[in-house]
Amino acid sequence: MFSQLKLILFFMLLSTAAGGLWYVQHLKAENEILTLNNAKLEGAVAEQQALIEQQLRDIETQKNINKQISENNAKLNKDLSLANEKFNKVNASGERRDIGALAVAKPKSIERIEGRREQQRSRCFEIAQGSQLTEEELNATKKSQINAECPSIANPNYVPY
Amino acid sequence: MREQILEVLKAHFGDKPINDDTHLMDDLGGDEFDIVDVFMQLEEKLNISIPEEETFDVMTVSQLIEVVGKHVQST
Repeated sequence: MFSQLKLILFFMLLSTAAGGLWYVQHLKAENEILTLNNAKLEGAVAEQQALIEQQLRDIETQKNINKQISENNAKLNKDLSLANEKFNKVNASGERRDIGALAVAKPKSIERIEGRREQQRSRCFEIAQGSQLTEEELNATKKSQINAECPSIANPNYVPY
Repeated sequence: MREQILEVLKAHFGDKPINDDTHLMDDLGGDEFDIVDVFMQLEEKLNISIPEEETFDVMTVSQLIEVVGKHVQST
């Protein structure tokens, strides 16, 4: 009777130890999976962080581009309003220039000038939208070399005189 | 004729120094319309007619005198 009780107790202890061992093994396996998942999550978080930083840099770049475009548009509008004033300018004798009369008397000349001015205006809008200046535009310092429609954005080295 | 041309230029651009090398845009501050205007005034003053094509590339006083001179002599 006593030996049967010991046998039962022995098996109970054995099964408890086996259960404990199994439980520890299970915990270890789960722990490994959790460690792997954690590493993956950390990698994903780092990627997201890098992505957010890149997006912030892109936003900053976009802001700068928008600012540049706004500044160019303001300069362009100023140039265009000045061009309108120049269109009917007064000469040294106080006579106002009449472009209409010039166009009637010298149609080919005025058409030629207007064609060139139209090209210059198109270029002004390209520049205002962010197009890079050419060497010729950058090096223009004389009135005959400039874009007459928007010198303040097309010819930064030209000083009006 | 030269004096008349200089008179027209001074009346148009003001009292700026003018010589043969003077550039109508770079030195006198004119634009392309001013050059056409000057040619019109000279045609009227000298009673001549200059084909437009001959005026397209005129940029200096010497070129202006040359083109106008051709027509003054031929009339």
